[in-house]
Amino acid sequence: MNRLPVRQLSWGALGLAVLFILPRFLPEIRIHLMTEIFIFALFAVSFNLMFGYAGQLPFGLAALFGVGAYGTALVFNHFPGIPLLAALLIAALSGAVAAAFIGFFCVRLSGPYFSLSTLAFQMFLYAVALKWRSVTNGDDGMGVVRPDLHLPALGSISMRSIHNMYYLTLIVVTIGILACYLFLKTPLGNSVVTVREKEIRASFLGYNVFLIKLLAFSASGVLAGLAGGLFVLYEEFVATTSLDMNMAMTPVLMTVIGGSGHFLGPVLGAVFYLMLQDWISSLTSYWMLLMGGMFIVVVLYFQGGLISLLKLDWIWRLRNRGNR
Amino acid sequence: MKTILGIEGLFKDFSGLEVLFDLNLEIYEGERHAIIGPNGSGKTTLFNIITGLYRPSRGKIFLFDKNITGWSSHRIARSGLSRSFQIINNFPKMTVYWNVRSAVVSRFNRRFNWTTILDWDKEIERECDRVIDLLSLSDVRDVPASELSYGKQRHLELALTIAREPILIMLDEPTAGLNSEETRNAVQLIRQLTEGKTLFMVEHDMDVVFNLADRITVLNYGRILATGAPDVIRMNEQVKKAYLGRK
Repeated sequence: MNRLPVRQLSWGALGLAVLFILPRFLPEIRIHLMTEIFIFALFAVSFNLMFGYAGQLPFGLAALFGVGAYGTALVFNHFPGIPLLAALLIAALSGAVAAAFIGFFCVRLSGPYFSLSTLAFQMFLYAVALKWRSVTNGDDGMGVVRPDLHLPALGSISMRSIHNMYYLTLIVVTIGILACYLFLKTPLGNSVVTVREKEIRASFLGYNVFLIKLLAFSASGVLAGLAGGLFVLYEEFVATTSLDMNMAMTPVLMTVIGGSGHFLGPVLGAVFYLMLQDWISSLTSYWMLLMGGMFIVVVLYFQGGLISLLKLDWIWRLRNRGNR
Repeated sequence: MKTILGIEGLFKDFSGLEVLFDLNLEIYEGERHAIIGPNGSGKTTLFNIITGLYRPSRGKIFLFDKNITGWSSHRIARSGLSRSFQIINNFPKMTVYWNVRSAVVSRFNRRFNWTTILDWDKEIERECDRVIDLLSLSDVRDVPASELSYGKQRHLELALTIAREPILIMLDEPTAGLNSEETRNAVQLIRQLTEGKTLFMVEHDMDVVFNLADRITVLNYGRILATGAPDVIRMNEQVKKAYLGRK
């Protein structure tokens, strides 16, 4: 228990190594897809921090994604010289601040009341983004110029190339997901799970249920905001689509299909969702229908999600049955 | 004697139904105080008010001379008061170790710590194992709480209650549902765990009460009938009529 998780670390390092050499073998369009997958993997992980670990379904988490996205775009447009990493930091922080504000009202509610009140905030922000044309440019959206990345040791790196954008996203997302993983291993992460398990018992043990849920939601907001910031950088554009209903559903579908019971479930869900979308949408425009069907099948028949299939428990079970 | 918990003129009604009526009670430092009374006499309601689950309709509650009326449960818990529940109330999906650890983390005030890895914290691990050992739960250390036998779940309930090292321990029917041998063991255990501390308990089993308590309060229909040493209570005519006499 007290040793470093060597096996996980080596698998993680291997996975990262593969992702680092992968662009050499992929056509550019695939690199675009991969970059998008990374961003949504981070978004889905931030969703699952609240859904899987804090036990609350944050339906309107895209509000924080949107705040991060619009925040980044506004910062780039109003302060053109701002360093790229500073803009991403602002995205993460604005996500956290927005989460703390929204959470202050929503976190004291639970179950569907929490879910729907967060969604209400998202729809409110959607309306603001749509109507406040002088700031957000309404449904025309805002274009963003992706600035170069200045690093102390490496000098200036051009972000015009999708390859560099791929690597930047990979590194930032890895840091974000790793931070989330470590967060759950800290006493505060343990508090989040303890409160999920039984609020009343936790409060009689001295846990401030409201504050812990609020902190969990804010942590979720950091990652969602960061994902939003990366999304704007990648798209070089922000519009109301990053705050709409579709964006609200995306992390829910990814997480549930991938499996909310495992830390990497949402990552797998994001990979599956976007690859399937990429493939099916080239065949038919009804791809959402298929995704909805998948969602229903997962909810009804294997709640562990896709990741539970990877654990191969069922093979062992079949084998044991044969031996009996 | 020093008063640890003071209750002054406490009233509670649930939309017109009067549950507690002008309650005045003092729990002294170091004593084992039991509260008895027929079903529905308001014992658990009193516990729930003291621990911040309900607000009293009127009246004040003092803990170590601080007015804690209206405080939230977690704040009261952090002030040195810890309680158990009549119905098993643990974290069912977590292992025994994890259950206890959640209490120990809170005791060490690391609830909001986000800069250390919990699994690597030797100090917390040692303290958890000490508590687990004390409650003889070592053999089920890594078993989820929901899979424990009823008796072991009672032990875990006690473990969660004492892991915070409270000054005032409040136990709500700690022997409920235990057989006579388990009850004897539980009494022994409670005596050992509350050594040098203050115990305030609700209990139905008169053997347990007269065995453990230094003082007894009898509650009937939300009013205090009598408070005093076990022998005094045993002899009290009113108490005999309302409660003990039925035996």
